[in-house]
Amino acid sequence: MSILSSFRIPPIAAAIIAASLQTAVLGYMVEGRASILRNGADIRLKTLPVDPRDLLRGDYVILSYAISTIPKSIVTGEVPKVNGRERLVVRLKPGADGLWTATEASFGTLAPEEGSVLLRTQPFDYYSVTDGVLPDSLFVSYGLERYYVPEGEGKVLEDARNQEELEVEARVSKDGTPQIARLILRGEPVYDEPLY
Amino acid sequence: MYRGRLERDLKLWAQQGLLDAPTADRLLKEYDSRESSFSLGRVLMMIAALLMSAAVLLLIAANWEAIPRLVRVVGIVALIWGAYLTGGLLIQRGAPRLAAAFLAVGTVSFGGAIALIGQMYHFSGDALQAMLVWFAGAVIAAALFRSGAVTAIAGFLAFAVAWTDWNEAYRASDTMLLWLMPLMAVIIILLVRYTDAGRVRHIAYLLLVAWLAFIYGEHDTPTTAIIIASLGALAYLLAALPQSPLHALARNAGAAPAFYSYLVLLLGLLVLHSEFDAVGDRLMLGVITLFVAIGGIVFSGKENGAVRYLGYATFAAETLYLASETIGSIIGTSGFFLISGLVVALIAWAVIVVERRFSKAETKAEA
Repeated sequence: MSILSSFRIPPIAAAIIAASLQTAVLGYMVEGRASILRNGADIRLKTLPVDPRDLLRGDYVILSYAISTIPKSIVTGEVPKVNGRERLVVRLKPGADGLWTATEASFGTLAPEEGSVLLRTQPFDYYSVTDGVLPDSLFVSYGLERYYVPEGEGKVLEDARNQEELEVEARVSKDGTPQIARLILRGEPVYDEPLY
Repeated sequence: MYRGRLERDLKLWAQQGLLDAPTADRLLKEYDSRESSFSLGRVLMMIAALLMSAAVLLLIAANWEAIPRLVRVVGIVALIWGAYLTGGLLIQRGAPRLAAAFLAVGTVSFGGAIALIGQMYHFSGDALQAMLVWFAGAVIAAALFRSGAVTAIAGFLAFAVAWTDWNEAYRASDTMLLWLMPLMAVIIILLVRYTDAGRVRHIAYLLLVAWLAFIYGEHDTPTTAIIIASLGALAYLLAALPQSPLHALARNAGAAPAFYSYLVLLLGLLVLHSEFDAVGDRLMLGVITLFVAIGGIVFSGKENGAVRYLGYATFAAETLYLASETIGSIIGTSGFFLISGLVVALIAWAVIVVERRFSKAETKAEA
């Protein structure tokens, strides 16, 4: 205790170390996302209306996707034996209209395949009434469910979303983390996302 | 406050000739020079620092589009560097109180930067991870600067982490809280010991009490309550009995370890009161509670005023509870109030006797 009670890192050194560490963490967060935007695989997703329809969520718009609902029929592989927190890997394939849809999902892993992109869901609360039997559909999120907009501009996007005229272009990293790249409003790109 | 009482007493002693006036002045000055002593200027400075930090956070929350976002990130990183460097410089110049305010701004700005990047890249979900990163940043800054103020921020962030996880998860089996909360409490206690931020200790203990409440919330059975009460009893005995190997360490941390473990014991017993239905069980529980109240007064009464008063309050409340449960229905309302009055008067008399004995014992020990 006696050594401890007198020990002190020189304050300026402490300031430089603390600021450098925190800057490094922030830089890592930024670069992690920027690298997905740079190198990720492109996908285009259809958004769906969200209830309550007219609730303006302050400065971000809540987005919901067709791929947020995973029907029981496309789930392959092992099914969890007990209820708990689970993640899914979802295989997306493009349709004729350029919009990507979920074609396969697994609680384990899926092999990469030409012409498809694998997306990892966020952990979700898996609940089944009968152990080992899947419910009819699973509701998942991907970390793509928020879009921050300047104050007051959210309403236009929410209206478009509720009229099903809003699409989202995202890029997906190799490990299945998606990042919103831009929004497409009635076929026109809006809010192109810069790298930084 | 303690300082007011100290000043009054010193003046009184000086008047009675027990102490000469210059010594009294010197004693008061010594107290004021302590880093942990209360100073209005210091408190106002901390409030100013937190307000300014809140302004930074709100600016970001308002998604201020007038500035390009890269400039915003660079700006907030510059704010972190500026705050920490100014804080470091002020410590070197011997102005630790002003320095604490700058360190607080730096640490809160780090959280603002995390939120800003989350907004830039439209993060959704996983607020827990963001909170954990912020908590870790605060812990590291507190350790590097050996700063009590940043330790306090880290303590509050620990609560924020727990709250975020609790909000995101649905069942105890899904959450990290079971081990994360005690781990964070241990980290905060270590920081408190290292930074000498005595008062922040309470945040860590409250975190542990909240953790037990969380566990009980997840498994609300009599068994859980009994386990919690038993652990509280064990921890209390370890902290309070002079024979215990941990006694020296606990005393070193002041009155808090014995008080909070005693509090956990009593909370466990309180919950059990609502778990037990059978008359026999309740009666036994009542007797145990009374014994615990007396035990607290006997074991820690002399050295720990907080435990002593908690013991008195528990004894009085339990006695009235038992009276209302047993004879309350027989004697009617007015009779019950009469009995309650008599019981409280008896307890008051006992308290006065006990208090007198403690103060006598103290004078004898000092003589």
